[in-house]
Amino acid sequence: MEMKVETRKNVQVQDVSPSGMKIIWQEIKRDKLAMGSLITLAAILIFVYGASFFMDAKEIAKVDFLSIYLEPSSDYWLGTDYGGRDVFGQLIVGTRNSFTISLFITLFTAIIGLTLGLLAGYFGGATDNVIMRVIDFVIALPQLMFIVVVVTIVPVFNVYVFILIMTMFLWTGKARLIRSKALSERELDYIHASQTLGTPHWKIILFQLLPNVSSLIIVNFILNLAGNIGLESSLTFLGFGLPESSPSLGTLISYARNPDVLENKWWIWVPASLMILVLMLSINFVGQALKRAADARQRRG
Amino acid sequence: MTLLKVDNLKVHFPIRGGFFRRVVDHVKAVDGVSFELQQGETYGLVGESGSGKSTTGKAVVKLNDVTSGQILFEGRDLAGLSRKEIKPFRKDIQMIFQDPYSSLNPKKRVLDIIAEPLRNFERLSPAEEKKIVQDFLDKVGLSPESILKYPHEFSGGQRQRIGIARSLTLKPKLIIADEPVSALDVSVQAQVLNFLQDLQTEFNLTYLFVGHDLGVIRHMCDRMGVMYRGRLVEEGKSDEIYENPQHIYTKRLIAAIPDLEPEVRGEKVKLRKKLTAEYESSYSKFFDEDGRAYDLKPISPTHRVALH
Ligand SMILES: Nc1ncnc2c1ncn2[C@@H]1O[C@H](COP(=O)(O)OP(=O)(O)OP(=O)(O)O)[C@@H](O)[C@H]1O
Ligand SMILES: [Mg+2]
Repeated sequence: MEMKVETRKNVQVQDVSPSGMKIIWQEIKRDKLAMGSLITLAAILIFVYGASFFMDAKEIAKVDFLSIYLEPSSDYWLGTDYGGRDVFGQLIVGTRNSFTISLFITLFTAIIGLTLGLLAGYFGGATDNVIMRVIDFVIALPQLMFIVVVVTIVPVFNVYVFILIMTMFLWTGKARLIRSKALSERELDYIHASQTLGTPHWKIILFQLLPNVSSLIIVNFILNLAGNIGLESSLTFLGFGLPESSPSLGTLISYARNPDVLENKWWIWVPASLMILVLMLSINFVGQALKRAADARQRRG
Repeated sequence: MTLLKVDNLKVHFPIRGGFFRRVVDHVKAVDGVSFELQQGETYGLVGESGSGKSTTGKAVVKLNDVTSGQILFEGRDLAGLSRKEIKPFRKDIQMIFQDPYSSLNPKKRVLDIIAEPLRNFERLSPAEEKKIVQDFLDKVGLSPESILKYPHEFSGGQRQRIGIARSLTLKPKLIIADEPVSALDVSVQAQVLNFLQDLQTEFNLTYLFVGHDLGVIRHMCDRMGVMYRGRLVEEGKSDEIYENPQHIYTKRLIAAIPDLEPEVRGEKVKLRKKLTAEYESSYSKFFDEDGRAYDLKPISPTHRVALH
């Protein structure tokens, strides 16, 4: 009863479906961990994006042989690396790069996955068959080998190429997830009703089907965002990531492949590792809260 | 005047199997059904679950592909039309769905739900649109403030009314009602049924009424067809069929109606036993060697039965 009154109030204030966002917000507010994570995350991102705006990327990437491997000091808050570059500056720019990369990979895979998943699920039949076979094909490709080959043959390996190639492999999971949800939704009578009411397919997909898979997408998006930050770093660590000229969290951590750095020069790799840990955990905690919110919605029907 | 004529309609669903997902067999959901609807009447389709009633109704609104046969609406065949060509007919033929919970999009407001057909066919200003939606809400007995609410804020009966309002906005001639009350509480069923009858008079509607409850069908329909395994086994005026069933399946269907009075209950049990015996002894009179019902043969000007 209480809930009913609440939604009604809502409806009068807002025009577009507010209940979803509101429930999500309440779920986060109730969960201290998620709330803390959200605040931490926002603080880090605002700081990183704000600070890197005032930083000169070239300056940070410039090699200075007079200040190699300096320990943290008031000049270099987190010391310097083997090229005399400021680790703190790299950490800021690296965090920004890593997060941006993750964001774009997640965004692009979401767009592709959503489009193909909705098409396959809604139309079914031959459309579904073709899309599923393409997905099977992409999944069957040896990913790591493919990435190694691309890294070696591409003349300039930069952020864009990296985003592109990762997107190529990572959309399949999303497409499958969305497809299975769309397949079950399209059997529901509200979709049939739209069809008998003369609504064109594209409108049914965008305005009837999409809103009903949206909670699934949001949760999946957030959890993927966390996963993709780690992904970039681990590939960089393996040596197939981004070049040093575009620093990322992975670049900093990969310096730890040098045993001397690993043992004696903690300031180079520990902050970056911690940063990844904090980012991934906090995004994950927020994502978990969203997931619960989405489940509760489904339970309520 | 004949509004709808369904002629030898067949809807077969492929069953796929094997390694290449080839078609290995067909479900003959509807297998040669013919009937006619006169303008303004209510025609009922009854039968047990899985007999192909919904599939027949859905074929008329093109929710199912037609395997063969004709669906003549005002003399024009809809069966072979593509989705584009069918669009103008959508205005004239509408459907009311069985489940009032899944037939309304949970993420849409009542305004958007009811206005959806209007937006597809007419260019209206938001104010005009709102006016029309409120008028129809009023007709189905819901308050005008309902337009900004979401489906989950309504009861099953109210939701079904929203679905009915949606099907009326385009002023259709024919409405396919697929068990419109079977998901509702018994106390609301009669209310919604009577209300459908009122609307029929007001809007001069023709109903194709699908149901498995013979009582409801008899109450609602002028004529009815009894379906069994994708075939019509008997067709005629509702009273004729109810009082004087000829096909063994119809007899058993009527005998299966639960009785509340204890005195007749014993008789019913005896009747059912007798019918079971008759079913076994005279099976070949009603079904051919494949277990398929024969074609309908007239036994009176209005009454047709599938007899050998
Ligand atoms: N899309 C489909 N694909 C395959 N088989 C189907 C499909 N739709 C219906 N069928 C089959 O067709 C037969 C008739 O189904 P239909 O829904 O028309 O029955 P019904 O008479 O409406 O039953 P109910 O009273 O349970 O609604 C069933 O055996 C069903 O399994
Ligand atoms: Mg049915």
